Amino acid sequence: MTIAQDWAEKYRPTKLADVVGNNKPLQALRDWKEEWEHGVPEKKAVILSGPAGVGKTSAAHALGNEMGWEIIEMNASDQRTAGIIEKVAGSASRMSTLTGIQKRLIILDEADNMHGSADRGGTRAITNVIKKSNQPIILIANDLYALSSTLRSHCVNIKFNSIPQRSILPALKKICKMEGIMCGTGVLEKIAENTGGDLRSAIKDLQATATDKKEIEVVDVTTAERDTKESIFKVLTKVFKGREPIEAYRATFSLDETPEDLIQWVDENLPNQYLNKDEKLSEDITAAYHNLSRADTYLGRVRLRQNYGLWRYAGFLLSGGTAVAKKHSHSGFRKLQPPSMWRRMGQLRSKRNMRDNIAAKVGLHCNEPIRDCRIDLLRMYGLLLKNEDYAVDAAYSLELDVDEIAYLTESKRVTKKIQKIYDASREMMHEKEDEDIDVFMHAPEKDRGQSTLDSMFSEGKDPAEENQMDGKEKDNPKPAKSQKTLFDF
Amino acid sequence: MKEEIWIEKYRPYRLEDVVGQSDTIERLRSYIKTNNLPHLLFSGPPGVGKTATAVSIARELFGDDWRENFTELNASDERGIDVVRTKIKNFAKTSPIGGADFKIIFLDEADALTPDAQSALRRTMERYTNNCRFILSCNYSSKIIEPIQSRCAVYRFRPLSDDAIGKRCRHIAEKEGLDIADDGIEAIKYVAEGDMRKAINAVQAASMFDTSIHADSIYRITATAHPEEIKALLESALGGNFVSSRKKLDDLMVLRGLSGEDVVGQVYRSLFDIDMPARKLVSIVDVLGEIDFRITEGADERIQLDALLAHLSIEGEK
Repeated sequence: MTIAQDWAEKYRPTKLADVVGNNKPLQALRDWKEEWEHGVPEKKAVILSGPAGVGKTSAAHALGNEMGWEIIEMNASDQRTAGIIEKVAGSASRMSTLTGIQKRLIILDEADNMHGSADRGGTRAITNVIKKSNQPIILIANDLYALSSTLRSHCVNIKFNSIPQRSILPALKKICKMEGIMCGTGVLEKIAENTGGDLRSAIKDLQATATDKKEIEVVDVTTAERDTKESIFKVLTKVFKGREPIEAYRATFSLDETPEDLIQWVDENLPNQYLNKDEKLSEDITAAYHNLSRADTYLGRVRLRQNYGLWRYAGFLLSGGTAVAKKHSHSGFRKLQPPSMWRRMGQLRSKRNMRDNIAAKVGLHCNEPIRDCRIDLLRMYGLLLKNEDYAVDAAYSLELDVDEIAYLTESKRVTKKIQKIYDASREMMHEKEDEDIDVFMHAPEKDRGQSTLDSMFSEGKDPAEENQMDGKEKDNPKPAKSQKTLFDF
Repeated sequence: MKEEIWIEKYRPYRLEDVVGQSDTIERLRSYIKTNNLPHLLFSGPPGVGKTATAVSIARELFGDDWRENFTELNASDERGIDVVRTKIKNFAKTSPIGGADFKIIFLDEADALTPDAQSALRRTMERYTNNCRFILSCNYSSKIIEPIQSRCAVYRFRPLSDDAIGKRCRHIAEKEGLDIADDGIEAIKYVAEGDMRKAINAVQAASMFDTSIHADSIYRITATAHPEEIKALLESALGGNFVSSRKKLDDLMVLRGLSGEDVVGQVYRSLFDIDMPARKLVSIVDVLGEIDFRITEGADERIQLDALLAHLSIEGEK
């Protein structure tokens, strides 16, 4: 018997052209690659970020294969302390290969998973490796904003999106053809639909379905255990239209949703479902929300205490409690929709992360708690950045990138003015950096030497800064100058 | 061997012996037929056959030498990132033994792995896929990070049906020369709540006292009240007879040794069988949940349950 292979590995693309979907991000990757053909580009690294199973790792490896670059990979299954990264990636990135033509591609997979003490200093080491490298480097992460903004600013940021169903389908069809599998109508559609834009799990599901078969039908698709919307709508209808609490509660058993998710569905649809004909608030809504808030109380207790036994009360109150809350019947069809909170949270998340990142920088710079910075000081820096006299210095001292400047100045997009501020602040930074690099090269142990290094830098830098700052930041006479070095991330 | 633990003795060795998960088992069997196994994620409550299935897969694939190529790690014992980077990775790296095509790592209770450790697992799963397949088991699949779920075929194990439990227990009784009455089987189903491990443990415990097993012995051995007793307790409280219901509660806790948590759990199950207006049921469930919470937070179970009965007595009179 031959060893049957994992299809997701077997059909991993070897050329960029074979990577499915994400055309724009892939083009950006190609553009970056082309720069390498004409020497060492300004940004020596790219970050590929995006959800699971959309082809980030595949694209990175495909690029390496296509170019004939030697690939060196480090991922989260390797320990990645500063020392190890420096040893593996650092030396590889600086050595030129014998012929001088062939490049080495360094792939750091799961770059957003650097683990506290186990990977001490890893992030910083990556930044240093990039700075000194003369070889291409690709970082791969699920969450772009989990990487420090300093690291981000040294890289080309390429975002991968989930793959639309219409692109997943042909990929699955191709595999079926290669494996000689006949498909009934709707099978591949169902598999593609179930996986929500994750091509890898679509391929896994296809393999799971097609193992040991030459023909597959819709009924064979059993692995796709993720709930389809249809079934959750059925349950919600029982909750909102029915009057039997036990029945409504039992209906929820058929779902794979936790009460945590279910309560969001109920909350989203409750007002619309229980509104009176004249669109006025009904007492049913109040009664239902009473039970819903009780359910939520139990969910909070579970979160706090990890006592999952309490989930049953939450589950009953959010389903049965909502069902019995109505005194009137609310007949007629009213549309059900998925929780808008989730969508909005997704949109807000990047903003919130940005705010927190800036607040962290400000906090470090001003020796203030991050929480206070979020409210007061960010607004202050916004004002500073709007004032031409202070803008460049402020951007420099916080090491802000363009997006962050745009955020602080409440600008919807990156204007020319913002770009100018950013460029000027970077120039200032580069001047400093050249000075710093020399010191850094002679520094002994990077991690433990941090405090001495800092004081070394600050001594060297302070006079110049004092001059710039003291006159300008009158609102902000902060003592934190000594912390502001290249290493503050 | 009398002293053997029955849940080990009667653990299924072959997939066809795994009870009550027929859809899942059928799919898994086709993997074995083609000698091709993707990474698997089993999710479901305890005692429904996740471990048994994993071991059966290994036995069917590797035959008698299955232990050579099968490693079981309980993630709740070894859950740090170091374990993933050393122990798991080393096992995954090395080639399978004795002509097998790959090895299997079974990570029990994978939801106990820290998210860090889970993400360290991702590339290991992918990179050594020629050598090694992973089977992960967990109670709540939502606690497994997305990238891992995306690398696995996910199978959900449901609580076992009462029929499946009854059948298995009768089978064991026959092998062990026990005589289980019908009400005994009903009692086992009630006590087990879809958990085969609980069911078999109850049978074994009861068998130590008598080879003929009745409902009474099952309830006694598992410190469970007869559902009828709980129903009587509730009905008497809801009928406004606080004093007599309190006496019944005393008997259950003092004479029968039920803990407050046991009583709450059983009251919860019995509530749905009692005829009462829907709104009242909802408010009572809420009160019961509150009491459950207070007891787990360290409040005195007797006082809390007395308060529950008092509440029911007032509710009942309305």
